[in-house]
Amino acid sequence: MSVQAAPIATTSTARRALGRLAWTLVPAAPFVIVTLIWIMATGILNPSKETLPPVTDVLASIKELALSGQLATNVVASLYRLLLGSILGIVTGLIGGVIVGLNRKLAESLNPVVVFFNAISGIVWLPLMITWLGIGNALAVFLIWNTVFFIVFQNAALGVQLVPEVYEQGVRALGGGRWQTMRSVILPGALPYILTGIRTGLGFGWRALIAAELVGAATGLGTMIFDAAEYHRSDIIVAGCLIIGVIAIVMDRWLLLPIERRTVRRWGLVADTEKE
Amino acid sequence: MDAAANAEKIAVSGFRHFFDTEDGPVQATGVVDLKIRAGEFVTLVGPSGCGKTTLLKAMAGFIRPTEGTIHCDGKLVTKPGRERGVVFQELAILPWRTVRRNIGHGLEIAGVPKVEREEKVTRLIDLIGLGGFEDRYPHELSGGMRQRVAVARTWAADPDVILMDEPFAAVDAMTRLTLQEELGRLCVATRKTVFFITHSVDEAVFLGDRVLVMTRRPGTIKAEIDIPRRAAGGRDWESFTTDVEMQGIAERVLKLVRAERGLTPAEEARAAAGAGA
Ligand SMILES: Nc1ncnc2c1ncn2[C@@H]1O[C@H](COP(=O)(O)OP(=O)(O)OP(=O)(O)O)[C@@H](O)[C@H]1O
Ligand SMILES: [Mg+2]
Repeated sequence: MSVQAAPIATTSTARRALGRLAWTLVPAAPFVIVTLIWIMATGILNPSKETLPPVTDVLASIKELALSGQLATNVVASLYRLLLGSILGIVTGLIGGVIVGLNRKLAESLNPVVVFFNAISGIVWLPLMITWLGIGNALAVFLIWNTVFFIVFQNAALGVQLVPEVYEQGVRALGGGRWQTMRSVILPGALPYILTGIRTGLGFGWRALIAAELVGAATGLGTMIFDAAEYHRSDIIVAGCLIIGVIAIVMDRWLLLPIERRTVRRWGLVADTEKE
Repeated sequence: MDAAANAEKIAVSGFRHFFDTEDGPVQATGVVDLKIRAGEFVTLVGPSGCGKTTLLKAMAGFIRPTEGTIHCDGKLVTKPGRERGVVFQELAILPWRTVRRNIGHGLEIAGVPKVEREEKVTRLIDLIGLGGFEDRYPHELSGGMRQRVAVARTWAADPDVILMDEPFAAVDAMTRLTLQEELGRLCVATRKTVFFITHSVDEAVFLGDRVLVMTRRPGTIKAEIDIPRRAAGGRDWESFTTDVEMQGIAERVLKLVRAERGLTPAEEARAAAGAGA
């Protein structure tokens, strides 16, 4: 690099840093807007607290829940179920999806049963399972597993099928066997779909969790919301929803997004907006 | 020449291929018979879609011939093997491996120790002029750079036979000249047997010991032109372009190829006008 180029480089670096800062703030905008509308709506329309609690009430109840230790208990109970069910769903979905993705005949013969159980996956099982598994962790974990499994399974199978055949041929011409092509072609090649499956699966996993807790658990965020509804405490209901949403964002940003950045985006398999 | 050099490396006999499609079978090639001696550099030119890639993939072991057989070292080819390296038209280098790890992949599969592997890979990276790009991923390279990585990856695995499908098509003209000279020199030095598909007549004549010309689809080999052997290592563009004999051969091959290419409407009109005049 020549000396003359330095000032130009600094300006553009500074501008780029500013631009990057702006872009990190943009995702927060919708939340700010909704909060403002919420504040204005409660201020102008003055609805009953049961219809729409003011922001301050919700914040107060979050603080109260946190101090009493209820919040921690419920979050831990919910996260435990969610993670256990999701991990089971991801592992079984991946194994099944990759096997089916590699085998066109198997995929075709399994198609009807997949369509059948996919249509009734997740919370549809609730009424039946509550009599089989009773109230508690097993019920929630089953529903989450069942939900996550099908989403991960279908994405993984599709991802495997879409890996260009010539990549596999390239590795086989280098002397690679089945295990080599699996490890260095099929799995990384299917990763964009696998990650999409995991992200989507987790989102749906939350719904299954809350549904299971609404009816079939003694603790958890779903239970907390359901109990609050009985006592007409809409501030706690809204607080519960906020907490669920925040945990979901945290998991996505700090768990899944970094994995995606370091893999499929780094490899240029999906568009990366932060490319220099 | 000794016996080993004269030995038949690849024998294609009575090869013909049809692809099964939704609309029934599609004939990709006519009957092809072809023998390639060990250490020979055979180039193939022919119009687009005439079946060049199909023939190459069958030699590689990825396509089971509808008719005929392919032998390598006297053994029937039924599947790919590391003794037959392939540079694919679509390149096939892996997007999730860096330049270094792509080129070293064959050695990694063969279980070559890391130090030795890195040494060889570094030497190849220098040779193809990609120093400084070792840790880049393919999507960060230009088309020509990717092609060089693909050739280096196949070369690094040290196969006896190298099957190349238009490996330099996207390389810039200047780099291409260097790569062609380098490839010609290395192939003679290491006595590789090479089957090389190209659209460039000059490239085919420059590199080949023998040039094959295919007819349009379904392609058969309509002409074989032996290129007089130059002194080992003596392939360079300067002497090639001033060599009257070579230029004569190139012209002959060009005529053969052009006869196979369908005429464009403008050319047809011109030909008709010429006939009328
Ligand atoms: N998988 C396939 N299924 C059906 N038809 C195919 C398939 N692969 C190739 N063909 C057809 O076979 C013919 C020969 O194809 P091939 O790829 O061998 O041509 P080529 O000579 O390599 O052409 P190019 O110079 O454009 O690469 C073409 O008409 C093509 O449409
Ligand atoms: Mg081709």
